Amino acid sequence: MKRVLILALGLVLILSLALTGCAKKEAVRSLVYGTTEKVTDMDPANAYDFHTWEIFQNISTGLLAYKPGTTELVPALAESYSVNAKGDEYTFKLRGGVKFTDGSVFDAAAVKWTIDRVIALKGDPSWLVSDFVKSVDVVDAQTVKFVLKQPVAYFPSLVATPPYFPLPSKVYPKDKIIKNPDELTGKALVGLGAYKATSFKRDEEVVLEANPSFFGGEPGVKKIIIRYFADATTMRLALEKGEIDLAYKSMNPSDIKDLSANAALVTNKLPGPYIRYLCYECSQSVFKDKKLRQAVGLLLNRPEIVEKVYLNQNSPLYSMVPAGMIYHTDDFKAGGDGNVAAAEKLLKEAGFSAAKPFAFDLWYTPTHYGDTEVNMAEVMKSQLDKSKLVKVTVKSAEWATYKEQWKNKQMPAFLLGWYPDYIDPDNYTAAFAGTTGSKGMGIYFSSKEWDDLFAKEQGNTDPAVRKQVFEQVQKMWTDDAPTVPIFQGDLYVFTKKNVAGVKIGPTLIFNYNQLQFTDEKKK
Amino acid sequence: MRHLLSYLITRLLMAIPMVFILLSLVFVVLRVMPGDPVSSMLGGHAPEEVIERKKAELGLNKPIAIQYVEYLGKLLRLDLGDSMIFTERVSAPILDKLPATLELTVCGLLVSLGLGVPLGAFAARRRRSGRDYGIRLYANAVYCIPVYWMGLMLQLVFGVWLGWVPISGRTGPRMSSSAFSRTGFYLIDTLLTGDIQAFGDVFLHLLLPAFTLGVTLSGIFVRLTRANMLDVLKSDYILAARARGLPERRVVYDHGLRNALIPVVTMLGLQFSLLLAGAILTETTFSWPGMGRLLLERIYLRDYPTIQGIIVVYALFVSLVSLLVDLLYAAIDPRVRL
Repeated sequence: MKRVLILALGLVLILSLALTGCAKKEAVRSLVYGTTEKVTDMDPANAYDFHTWEIFQNISTGLLAYKPGTTELVPALAESYSVNAKGDEYTFKLRGGVKFTDGSVFDAAAVKWTIDRVIALKGDPSWLVSDFVKSVDVVDAQTVKFVLKQPVAYFPSLVATPPYFPLPSKVYPKDKIIKNPDELTGKALVGLGAYKATSFKRDEEVVLEANPSFFGGEPGVKKIIIRYFADATTMRLALEKGEIDLAYKSMNPSDIKDLSANAALVTNKLPGPYIRYLCYECSQSVFKDKKLRQAVGLLLNRPEIVEKVYLNQNSPLYSMVPAGMIYHTDDFKAGGDGNVAAAEKLLKEAGFSAAKPFAFDLWYTPTHYGDTEVNMAEVMKSQLDKSKLVKVTVKSAEWATYKEQWKNKQMPAFLLGWYPDYIDPDNYTAAFAGTTGSKGMGIYFSSKEWDDLFAKEQGNTDPAVRKQVFEQVQKMWTDDAPTVPIFQGDLYVFTKKNVAGVKIGPTLIFNYNQLQFTDEKKK
Repeated sequence: MRHLLSYLITRLLMAIPMVFILLSLVFVVLRVMPGDPVSSMLGGHAPEEVIERKKAELGLNKPIAIQYVEYLGKLLRLDLGDSMIFTERVSAPILDKLPATLELTVCGLLVSLGLGVPLGAFAARRRRSGRDYGIRLYANAVYCIPVYWMGLMLQLVFGVWLGWVPISGRTGPRMSSSAFSRTGFYLIDTLLTGDIQAFGDVFLHLLLPAFTLGVTLSGIFVRLTRANMLDVLKSDYILAARARGLPERRVVYDHGLRNALIPVVTMLGLQFSLLLAGAILTETTFSWPGMGRLLLERIYLRDYPTIQGIIVVYALFVSLVSLLVDLLYAAIDPRVRL
């Protein structure tokens, strides 16, 4: 009986292997892209996360777009644009003959409808529009004018973000944010990008196929299948086994180390504008006193964190403006790393001693930034413990709780990370030290002097003036220290040998249409 | 027959307080724990008035007692409500993911029984032999190994090193989904559509997760079967069977095993809840799109109604399996009358 059972099982296995082995060839060759990221709202009016934006950047596009792999803005849906002398009116001449993937016509009315909708819905990224745009005027079918609340030097960068991506009014509801494509008229995502979404299964799979009516030509790979993994290690194994062609975000440092050494794979290391930093609640917590904020910052040893936690896969960061970005200066370097003497001097000035140490809670969130977060918090604690004048307790909360706690000023010191909304130093500074941005981050730092400086750089298109402001802001940061920069993240994309065209660049925009199969090219 | 019917009704009625208590606990715990669905939904930058308006829309500004009574009222009408995060009925993702979890759990159970019972019986027959010690060591080892670690090891060995089986998902990414739309049970769907190629793909994808789940829980069946077999093999009727000159194999497996299975069947019901719990970890390890992953994701999002809905479904399934086990008990042992 037992032998019969084993025989039967063996036969089924062999049969299955044989059947899978003779799988028929795909009509369209697809590239399988694995990630541990998640899609949030399939609505540009509310999506405000790295991966969902990435999908929108491939199924849609803006009036302007970044040249793949660079920070150079080039015309996309707009053929050209002009700005008035004051810098508060931008007029875009739209590309003609462009149609959405549902066949409806793209024109100036669609642009206005989209912007009005984003402002009205007040979704998460709506501030990228509502803080700057006063109104949108349809000049004619192919011309649209943005009237701004004040001059904004980096407005072209804003126009390249998903909240500005035009949507068809017949498909998206005017008064409601949608989460899933089946809430749309026609139950499918509609856009103007290189790809169109043909299948959407939340947390399982998203399938994109080439958009035949895309104005920018045919993509190298006609079909992209995005597969969602619940676990980074499983994704790594799937890549090693060949189940996926490309893996991007987020791998554990040890997996990155091993995969980088795998000769069967191609490692693409991307110096990203992703930063990690320590935030303080500056309005009512123990960190109301800036000396304490400075002292804790001085005790941190960035190279040690990068080495121990991230196996040197990231770079220490000494300014909130990442290295490689215009106007970056390394002001925090002057204070040094793990500078116990300087920190203790400040702590003593603030009235603390070994008998009466400065006690505070350091918070982290265990999953949102990957499995290494707990290690980072523990290494930071060990560095802070080097001073007898500090007594730190490490605490954690899941992301939903974490957000609520920062809003309610319940965390005196907490770790956060930042992917830019737009490529400009303003997005790394005003978002944390400007009164409005700081409140949204749970930092609650407010200073008229700082707000005036931000208003000055935002309203001025002269690079010399902006340079002077940002250099001043970065210098002031070491003194007021609303946050402490820790490291700048490098990103890794691993592909099979036959995949080329990974061009992500400093904008972090991953244009799938640049990908190609090298073995196909040879034919 | 009438007796059986009244037994069934009594058992089903007994499930109601269990589900009620469980649900009440989950309801209260979800609402007292920090983090709220509106912040999850709207993000950190939403203005206070928008958050308050959304809370009012979802009824989250009402006292917990009122929310609870309203929820129970809906539940009595067999309505699990609407998701707080997505525009969907709670039943929609549950019905979508339930077949994946059941397919995995049932296959895991079959592996668990298929390994545990024969190995236990064999170990009892060869008591104190090297094979017996080997099997007991196996039972202890797999019982101690965490299911996610076992999963990773099997993925590494059979998936990556040997390359025999896929390591993630329910199907290959390039497999057409037209064959999977009938019942949601992909093995059945592919057979119904006659798509043998898709069946092979689904079967191979199921192998590792089902094995992981089954092997981990087979240890307890090995130990239980062995212990019961040892007791049974000392019985007078076994002695009588041997005295009648029946072959040892028949004595052990035909006469002994059937009687030793009664406690095993009881354990089956208890193990089912463990299998469901184990499935949550197995689904994460194998990126299996089932109820376990859904539950975890909705906990992160604080989607109260969906979390409650999943717990209700889990509780009902555990009750149902427990009932089926009792019925099976009667079928195996004619002395048991329901």
